[in-house]
Amino acid sequence: MPRNRSLYSPYSRRLATSRRRFLQGGAAALAGMALSNCRQGGVSDVQAPDTETGNGNGGEGGGGSDTLHIYTWADYVDEELTAAFTAETGIQVVTDIYDSNETMLARLQAGGGSAYSIIYPSDYMVEEMIELDLLTTLDQDRVEGLDTMLDQWVSPAYDPDNVHSVPFSWGTTGLLFNRELVSGDPEDWDYLWDNQQALNRRFTLLDDVRETMGAVLKSLGYSYNATDPDELEEAFERLMELRPAIAAFRSFGWEDELLGGDLDLVMSYSVDAIAATLEDPAFEYVIPLSGSSVWTDTLVIPETAPNVDAAYEWINFNLDANVAAQTVERLFFATPNSEALDLIDDDLLANEDLFPPDEILARCEGIAPVGPEASALYDRYWTEVTSA
Amino acid sequence: MTAPPTVPREIALAAKPSLGQRLGQLIEPLTLLLPSGVWLVLFLVIPTLLIAEISLVPGLRPGDVPGAYGLGNYLQIFQPVYLRVLFRSLNFALGTTGLCLIVGFPVAYWIALMAPKRWRTLLLVVFILPLWTSSLLRAYAWITILRSSGLLNVVLQAVGIPGQNILNSPAAVYVGMTYSFLPYMVLILYSSLEKLDIRLLEAAADLGANPAQRFWQVTVPQTLPGIAAGGLLVFITSLGDFVVPTLLGGASSMTIARLIYNQFLGPTRNWGFGSSMSMLLILAVSLAIALLIRYGDRNPENYS
Repeated sequence: MPRNRSLYSPYSRRLATSRRRFLQGGAAALAGMALSNCRQGGVSDVQAPDTETGNGNGGEGGGGSDTLHIYTWADYVDEELTAAFTAETGIQVVTDIYDSNETMLARLQAGGGSAYSIIYPSDYMVEEMIELDLLTTLDQDRVEGLDTMLDQWVSPAYDPDNVHSVPFSWGTTGLLFNRELVSGDPEDWDYLWDNQQALNRRFTLLDDVRETMGAVLKSLGYSYNATDPDELEEAFERLMELRPAIAAFRSFGWEDELLGGDLDLVMSYSVDAIAATLEDPAFEYVIPLSGSSVWTDTLVIPETAPNVDAAYEWINFNLDANVAAQTVERLFFATPNSEALDLIDDDLLANEDLFPPDEILARCEGIAPVGPEASALYDRYWTEVTSA
Repeated sequence: MTAPPTVPREIALAAKPSLGQRLGQLIEPLTLLLPSGVWLVLFLVIPTLLIAEISLVPGLRPGDVPGAYGLGNYLQIFQPVYLRVLFRSLNFALGTTGLCLIVGFPVAYWIALMAPKRWRTLLLVVFILPLWTSSLLRAYAWITILRSSGLLNVVLQAVGIPGQNILNSPAAVYVGMTYSFLPYMVLILYSSLEKLDIRLLEAAADLGANPAQRFWQVTVPQTLPGIAAGGLLVFITSLGDFVVPTLLGGASSMTIARLIYNQFLGPTRNWGFGSSMSMLLILAVSLAIALLIRYGDRNPENYS
């Protein structure tokens, strides 16, 4: 498994050419030992100290391991789903959760992800992970049900022909607000700037550079994926204007404060927003008029997957129309599975927050990688915004 | 720099002729020290050296082919935006230390000198009790107290004071950190005040010193080592604290610990820069610990 070492190979190469003796020899060997221990989940607290997953690295299912480790978003995999999967296949499922694509990637790159056979990266992260050689090429003969994909996901831009990933869910980014607390009608991103006084420290934005910068870019009439330095600077300055009024940058964990009335409005992913709107009619979700992002989360098998067989089982299980439809009804993300759409409850199918009309979707963009130069600019501005 | 445990033995062996007894005397402590020595080397010394090495590769990102060594990461810290973060972290740490001292001293004084003797242990245990719960939980508790519809504002409004929006502001960070680290301060001040020589206070009173003079010229100098030790301990822990600024500070409280987190687990993923800031933090904390050893551990009698 040459890929297996891809993470540390640049590092070892550097050690090999290093002139620094103190890190060579024994120390390097010990370090290597320590690092490889990390890789096997010895240090990480979340991973089960399950030796099978550690040494089954990359083998086709290894020594008959019957546990599938999944690394996913909060609220993406519930007990009902895992129980149904175990009942059907006899494979136990262990899930760990992450709160951003970057956290997931960092963990993987630090070698802490070798226990996982299934991961749920978003579109742009799939692209990045393909470039970093972190994903297996899916054996199309073993994936059943890809033909059910809606047109947009037959060959998505982030992974043409779904060679490395299987589209699992999609949704939008928008504003979730408490109708009883906000004045006027939040319809577009501009609302935040126009009502900065009233909203002072009573709203949060996503703790995600691309989403939040993208929203500001959209409010200026630019693309969510702008790369022009002038446009980025303009967006940065506009965000800095708003900054004193922002309570926090938070992707998760705003629920209590919003439901308790301490926050008026949050920028949120549709998945989380819909759960709130269905719970309490005071909450409304809006996809801003000038446009927003539409994201896809996928199922991928990392190169280091210890239990590839179970991973395919999981993918096929989730591609089943019945399973997909039920998951949508419980967890509120839109599905790219055309057959599942026919099985979903009509009320939910009519929910425009979940399945927005085409004219709204037409104004939304998928987040795409912007290249190293623009990426560095995004990072710099984001650091300024969050550190000011 | 801590040397591997094998080195002193070799030196010792070379220096002294191999008398069986001396060897035995050496082997015994070394055998006992070996487990902790190996532990320290494996999990402290080597990781620190690795961080030091990564910090010397400018802008190293995971997956990159590393470039040449350089000081770029350290120079980057001097950009205004990062200096501001550093300055804020220092402010939080110093402010927390000051607040802990102001709040903690009277408490420790009262427990050590004024509370009934049989209550002292119990009072101390009660004070340390919060440390038994996770710092994360305590931070969450403060969220429910400080938020606009929270306990604090309910109480304030009940007595006619307009509600304050403290959560997600620097004030919330001071409150949360002071609460978190107060027990350390009280504990150390208590052990220092407990040793206070009452006879000196009586002598000062006999010689005509008023209470303020007695406090500043007799009590404080005697407890100075405790104040220094407690202050440095609070300073060190609050400088590196991640939980409280993240949960209570909102958008207004980027600290060095959060910045380091962002370099490894956040969107920026600049391991080189993150490592250089980690080294800076390690350096600052080591300095504080050096001061602690130098001034914090003195025999109080030297001051009397």
